[in-house]
Parts: sequence; C-alpha cells; structure tokens
Amino acid sequence: MKLEHRFKVPTSVADTWAALNDLERIAPCFPGASLTSVEGDDFAGSVKVRLGPISLLYNGTGQFVERDESVHCAVIEAKGKDKRGNGTASATVRTQLTPDGEQTAVEVATDLSITGKPAQFGRGVIQDVSDKLLGQFAACLEQNLGATPEPAAEPEASASESTPTEPTPTETPSADRTASQPKATPSDTGGGELNLLTTVGPALAKRYAVPAIGVLLLLLLLRKLLRH
Amino acid sequence: MIPAAFDYQAPSTVEEALHLLDSSEDAKVLAGGQSLMPVLRMRLAAPDTLVDLSGIAELRGVRDAGDAIVVGAMTPHEAVMSDPLIAEHATLLAKATAKVADPQTRRRGTFGGSLAHADPASDLPTCALALGAEFEIAGSGGRRTVQAADFFEDYFTTAIGEDEILTEVRVPKHTGWGAHYEKFVRTAQQWSIVAVAATVKLSGGTIAEAGVALTNMGSTPVRSTSVEQALIGVAPVDEAVRDAVAGIAEGTHPPTDINGDDNYRRHLATVLARRAVLAAAS
Repeated sequence: MKLEHRFKVPTSVADTWAALNDLERIAPCFPGASLTSVEGDDFAGSVKVRLGPISLLYNGTGQFVERDESVHCAVIEAKGKDKRGNGTASATVRTQLTPDGEQTAVEVATDLSITGKPAQFGRGVIQDVSDKLLGQFAACLEQNLGATPEPAAEPEASASESTPTEPTPTETPSADRTASQPKATPSDTGGGELNLLTTVGPALAKRYAVPAIGVLLLLLLLRKLLRH
Repeated sequence: MIPAAFDYQAPSTVEEALHLLDSSEDAKVLAGGQSLMPVLRMRLAAPDTLVDLSGIAELRGVRDAGDAIVVGAMTPHEAVMSDPLIAEHATLLAKATAKVADPQTRRRGTFGGSLAHADPASDLPTCALALGAEFEIAGSGGRRTVQAADFFEDYFTTAIGEDEILTEVRVPKHTGWGAHYEKFVRTAQQWSIVAVAATVKLSGGTIAEAGVALTNMGSTPVRSTSVEQALIGVAPVDEAVRDAVAGIAEGTHPPTDINGDDNYRRHLATVLARRAVLAAAS
C-alpha cells in the first residue's frame, strides 16, 4: 500500500537534510517507535501499535539504502515481526527534499506491506490507520524540524538519548488532520510512552472468531467421534 | 486459540472495578466478551488482568429518569430489545439491537460493551448518536458526562480513558417517534457495509423533527445534521425524502474494502437513508 505525505519546514534544505539523517532525532516522531541501536546506516528498534483491544509490537531492523545528499533524497527500508507471531510489517520510505524559497518542501512516500492477521482486518482500516500514523509522523517532523532542537532537560532512560524536547506548539501542522487530535499529538510520542492511535483491531478479531471457533468445534467433534 | 495467561477479577461494585483498573499495569475491562474474547484468543492482545463487570448489579437494567431513559452499560442486547421503556421512548434502539449479530451474541453482548468498543461498523453507536445520547463515565476522580458527539473519537477509540468505565447511557425520550434501522449486508450477520439509523417525529402529516446517523461511513459513526434539518417540513413520500437525503454522504470518508469502494458506499448511503426515513415515518 502506498501512502504519501507532504509538508514544509521553515529551515534550509541543508539543515533539514542534516536533521532528517539524525535517526535519534526523528525516530521519536514515529508514534509508538523506539530505537534500540544505530550503527552507520543500520538501525534496530520497535514499533508498538494499539488499536482498541488489539496491541501489536513489531521488533525489527532497518537501514538507509540510499542517501544522496546531492539530490537530497534518502530511502529507508525497515521490516519487523510481531512479538506474538501475528505477522510482519515492512516499509520503504523515500524522503525527498526540495528548496522552496527560504523553506524546504518535504515529500515522504511510503510503501507499506503488512502480512498476517492484521492484514486481514480488511475494511480499509489498515490503510486508514497507517495513513494516520504516517500523518502524525509527518506532522511531528514538521514541528520538530522547524524548531531548534535543545538538549532535553531531563533525559529519560529511554532508548533515544537525544530525545528532543517536546516540539514547541507552532501553528497547527497542515500535513494531516490527525495532528490536531488530542490523543495523537506529536509531543506525546517523545517520551517513550506508546500513545499510538488506538486503531485497527477488533473488527478483525470478530472476523477471525468465526473460523477460529469453527476449527475448535471441529476438533472437539472429531475427538468425540474418535472416542466413541 | 488459547489466550495468553491473564488474571481474572470480578468486582461487585464500580469503585472496586476502578481500583482494580488503577492498580493494574495493563488491565482490560470485560463486558459481554463478544469482541474482546476473540481478540484474546487470536492473541492479538494479551492484557495481564481482565476486570469482569458482569457481577456489578448497578450497571444492568433500564430505568425512567424523567425526560430521559437510562440504560445501564451492562444491559445485554436481548434485554434492550424487549424492554418496554425502550420500546416506548427510544424505539430506534430496540429496532437496531434486533439486527445486531445473532441470538447468542445478543444474549451475551452488552449495550455498553458495543458502545465502548466503538467499531465504526457496529450498529448501536450510530443509534446513540442519532438519539443524542449522553454517556456517563466513571473514573477514580469521579463521574463525568460526555455527549454522543464527543464520545466517538476514532476507530475503536472513545472518550473513555484507560482507567475509566462506561457506567450508563442517558437517552433523551423520543416518545411517539417512528424509527427504523436500515442495515445493508451481503450475508446474514455480517458487519454493516453501510447502515442508516433514522428516527422521525411526525406532525400534521409532515416530518417535524428527525435524527439521522450513518454506520461505517468513516472512522466513527456520522450524524447527518444537515439531512435532519432538510427533512423538517417534508412529507414522508418517496420523492420528497429522496431530495432531502440526497446530500447525506457529503463530507464523509467511507472506507474502501472488499465489499465496495468509497463511492459505492456514498451512493448506498443515499439509498438506505431514503428507505430508513420512509420506514421510520410509516
């Protein structure tokens, strides 16, 4: 599934590029994400997604597969596996910066692929939820890149040591309507508190319940038959 | 198909339940379990504690509260369907509840559970919205009331906080109003592809007041206030109602999935709205 987000930040292309390449600075922007290690172009971490009663925790790795400063284009590939075996998620994120006067236009194109149970939620929920999550990410970047990062006053014992202070509330980000939702403000994501959009799940579950219960009944029936 | 291990608690008062929620790291409230248990069995969630509300007597039942009726959150669907107060003052709820899932689910599943779960394809949130219900939410800091318009926030997300419980729902009396819930599905007991809840009050042969809301036309149920306005003064005949509901899908963001795309749903909403309003007025 392909998702696109665009926004502008009031900094030069060079500054924006530097910030975007600082994973420890941008990772906290992704709702529910935490970074466990960064080595050169490779990184590892986890993303927790909550949707109503459903909670998924993807552990995985990623890397910069392309990082071309001359055209200000970076491509990140990341993939992860749910902790409880509920499938995998992988994403290719292409970020393109373009100068726009004093500002920089940022284009984020994501190709997301989700397998396993969550993929079967159907009903367009996954797409909508993913879009919102990335919208929050983009809105957070927009705020974060616009503000000068300051050293966190009381660094938390979270994975990212250089967690920027909470983005100063500049004007409402235009990138996405979710940015204004109280439960999903970008600043919520900075503290390692996984306040992700509670999103997609239960529909699934109900959906699954039927085949699941069917299989269960069948097994019970077989057992009974075999016993007689 | 076997859930991860969890602690089970069955408090007998709301205060006790709130205390349990407060003191546990990752607790979930269990109402009728018709959505939560499948999620646990699929291991899509693994809370450390389940707080079962079924032993709290004050959360069950329907009572008359003057200009409103109050439905306890743990009232099972089956009781809502057959309750005389609901039949008289909020007939929309009775009619829509009769279309929820199947008899077994209606016996176990609860009114409040369905609302708190907030699946955008489920039927009762839409009706609560069309009827202008108010939700009472209890937390350790006391109780508060949230309007239906503010209650549903997103997919499966409501104004209920992690350590809070939905205790009851106040439904303003709609005595003498006609009602209909038009649910469109491909197969029996499917989730609504789209559904429309309509309740209308007739006066002198025309519609005097109306409540109209949509199921599965966005990440939350959607109330159509513009259509409610447009219906006022309209005679309940095919042509006039068709015109009044023509714009019902405007501003909605319906999902695209295997059952149909967003444009299909927008069209469906106008067709179902006409049927729902005509049935409610007849």
